[in-house]
Amino acid sequence: MDMPGYYEFCCRVRIISGHDAMEKIPDTLAQLNAGRPMIVTDKGVVGAGLIDIVVNAISNGVNIGAIADDVPPDSDLRIVNSLARLYREKGCDSLIAIGGGSVMDTAKGINIVVSEEADDLMKFSGANTLKRALRPLIAIPTTAGTGSEVTLVAVVKDHERHLKMLFVSYFLLPNIAIIDSRMTLTLPPAITAATGMDALSHAVEAYTCLAKNPLSDAHALAAIRLISDNLLKVTVNPGDKNGRLGMSSAATLAGIAFGNSMVGMVHTLGHSVGSVCGVPHGACMAILLPYGLEYNMHKNGHLTAELLLPLAGALVYAATPREERADKVIALIRRMNQELYEATGGRHARFFKEALDRDGKEMVPKEKLPDIAETALRDGSIFYNPEDLDYNDFLMVLEAAWEGKPLDTCLIRKG
Amino acid sequence: MYLPEHYEFFCPVKINSGNRALEQLSSELDALNARKPLVIAKKDASERGLVDVIIDAFKDSGIAIGIFDGVPTAPDLKLIKELFNIYRDRGYDAVIAVGGGTVADTAKVLNIAVSGKPEDIEGCAGENMIKRPLKPLIIAPTLAGTGYEMSKYAFFDGRDYASHFLMPHLAVIDPRMTIPEGAVTTAATTLTALTHAVEAYSGSDKNPLADAYAYTAIQLIMEHLVNVIRDQRDRNGRLSLANAHAMAGCAFSNVAPGVAHKLGKVMGDVCHLPPGLCMGMLLPHILDKQMSEGGYHIPDLLLPLAGFDAYASTAENLRARRAVDILRNLLKDLSAASGGAILRIWKDAQVSEDTLQDIARRAVGNGASFDMDGCVEILKKAMEGR
Repeated sequence: MDMPGYYEFCCRVRIISGHDAMEKIPDTLAQLNAGRPMIVTDKGVVGAGLIDIVVNAISNGVNIGAIADDVPPDSDLRIVNSLARLYREKGCDSLIAIGGGSVMDTAKGINIVVSEEADDLMKFSGANTLKRALRPLIAIPTTAGTGSEVTLVAVVKDHERHLKMLFVSYFLLPNIAIIDSRMTLTLPPAITAATGMDALSHAVEAYTCLAKNPLSDAHALAAIRLISDNLLKVTVNPGDKNGRLGMSSAATLAGIAFGNSMVGMVHTLGHSVGSVCGVPHGACMAILLPYGLEYNMHKNGHLTAELLLPLAGALVYAATPREERADKVIALIRRMNQELYEATGGRHARFFKEALDRDGKEMVPKEKLPDIAETALRDGSIFYNPEDLDYNDFLMVLEAAWEGKPLDTCLIRKG
Repeated sequence: MYLPEHYEFFCPVKINSGNRALEQLSSELDALNARKPLVIAKKDASERGLVDVIIDAFKDSGIAIGIFDGVPTAPDLKLIKELFNIYRDRGYDAVIAVGGGTVADTAKVLNIAVSGKPEDIEGCAGENMIKRPLKPLIIAPTLAGTGYEMSKYAFFDGRDYASHFLMPHLAVIDPRMTIPEGAVTTAATTLTALTHAVEAYSGSDKNPLADAYAYTAIQLIMEHLVNVIRDQRDRNGRLSLANAHAMAGCAFSNVAPGVAHKLGKVMGDVCHLPPGLCMGMLLPHILDKQMSEGGYHIPDLLLPLAGFDAYASTAENLRARRAVDILRNLLKDLSAASGGAILRIWKDAQVSEDTLQDIARRAVGNGASFDMDGCVEILKKAMEGR
């Protein structure tokens, strides 16, 4: 194992996992000297009946101050400010965020406003501008993918001034992440598949990109193993409680891994497809992951090869000659996409031309690929990718991922 | 992969490791809202130049640090009172401990006092008696620490403390601090860390997050311990071992202490041996016994102990046996690499039948998971096995 010349690793979030983990919330809030939380969530979570489960689980011992369920899919400064007002009006003393990335971002934003008595959130944007602990924040993820319950970043958009504010601080980490199988039991198969592949892409890029360290590696390996054990199972059988718990632990492990090691071109391109065409993040990750590994193969093939063990198990690993292992990993990830495609009745897209919106309309028209490549050039996440990419390289990868053809390795510029 | 139906995990320790890690301290203190740290150390840390390294690291930071390098071998509450007064009167707002052992224990207990008042200390002894976060605590470990300094435990002036709030906010692992400590000390501290990691990884209350720390610690120790014992100049090896110690301490804080830890600690105490050497000697025999009992995860140990290829090519039913053999061989290799020094310590341990009974009784009293007969059996095997 290579010990980096210098590295940092940190995840201060207390993690509570189980089929009835939420019942621990009253005690843990009391330990944080709080007992009147505001619940922050969105309409989708409410519609799935999940808030009722949470309220039932915690109402003995917790006096819920407010339930705010109007978080939009894209975090918004005005909502952050209005919810911060609600928090104060109702005399709340803590936050419980229930949902995906936008809910977590919004709750973190509210927490800055109410803890720092800030009227202008902008003042706290950037890295390490927060200097002390915020109000207690409990994160309850409702998908098994983003890992945002264990990341120290928040993004809040100011739609009026067209600003995207980024906040980075260890104080933004939730105090507690609750992994409860009840919260993902009703997740539809296509979203289960996409978010699960999102977690896989976090773990795989954490392990194979440049800013890895021994601890991020260990978290990534465990995440990959759990995803390999459980993702197809819960996509086929959504009510598999232990499988759901396995996927949620995997997403948390993968979140810790990439939060401490950064990611690479799969995320760079994924962000860009998402921002240009609105394809859900997890779907982009699923499609792009094998291409990222192919593109970087000449730099990190030895690392990709190691992933065969957590992905396929000891027997396959031992039976596969060393020089074939990396290719096998890529083939297996493609096979996972294929199996998820079949298990979701075709709703899990294998390549971009298959990505459809609710009305069945193609989300990524081929003529948008140059736009996407252009956008990718401006994304900072490429910094830790093993091999460089310019506009033509991005476009070449996008065209292959659109069509669903493996990369032509002759076209990769080996720097 | 094994996943318990319920688990909890908490590790507030940030790890900064590598070249010039100490130079990051001023920005880390800033992030913890602290600007005036009190550095505490033992006299010998000063004499070995370790305190100077820290002073040097703050040279261009604009931060004025305080130094107290008089922590004695057996510190008591009087010292805490004295340090509390210094901390309060001179306006310090963080503690940096140089090294592990009693210095780290002192720093943890001092932190209870300065986060409230000295009178709080007594009431905080015991399990989970601390109710709120403490002031910033940073530990810069040496290889003389076992990783216990990063854990939720402290032992001070005859009292045991256990609380996640005692864990440091930051572990600064800098190669300038992880200087050679000699073969016996390095082997003893690292075998303690290895025992903690192995028992966390193979024990019945493991969870995937504690596993990640334990797994990494085991891997690093297997890769570097024998090399460092053979050649203390191996700077990267020493840094890697210090990382492993810290990680083992984090894992150890999240699972119940295992029987090798408990039995080894008592044995070290009774026989006046380094506890780590006792734990290392007992561990293979204990795993052997647990293998037949069920409920443990001993086959999984082969992965961090032997690596991907050896693990994958070993049949499932042979993995546990092979893992235990590797640990047994490690002890032989350590003896050989230390020119027999480590072996001689084991040979010289004169342990009578009465002493065995006494060790077993005390370990069972401390909650060791084997009964009297089981403990005696292990102790005997370990004695014969030398």
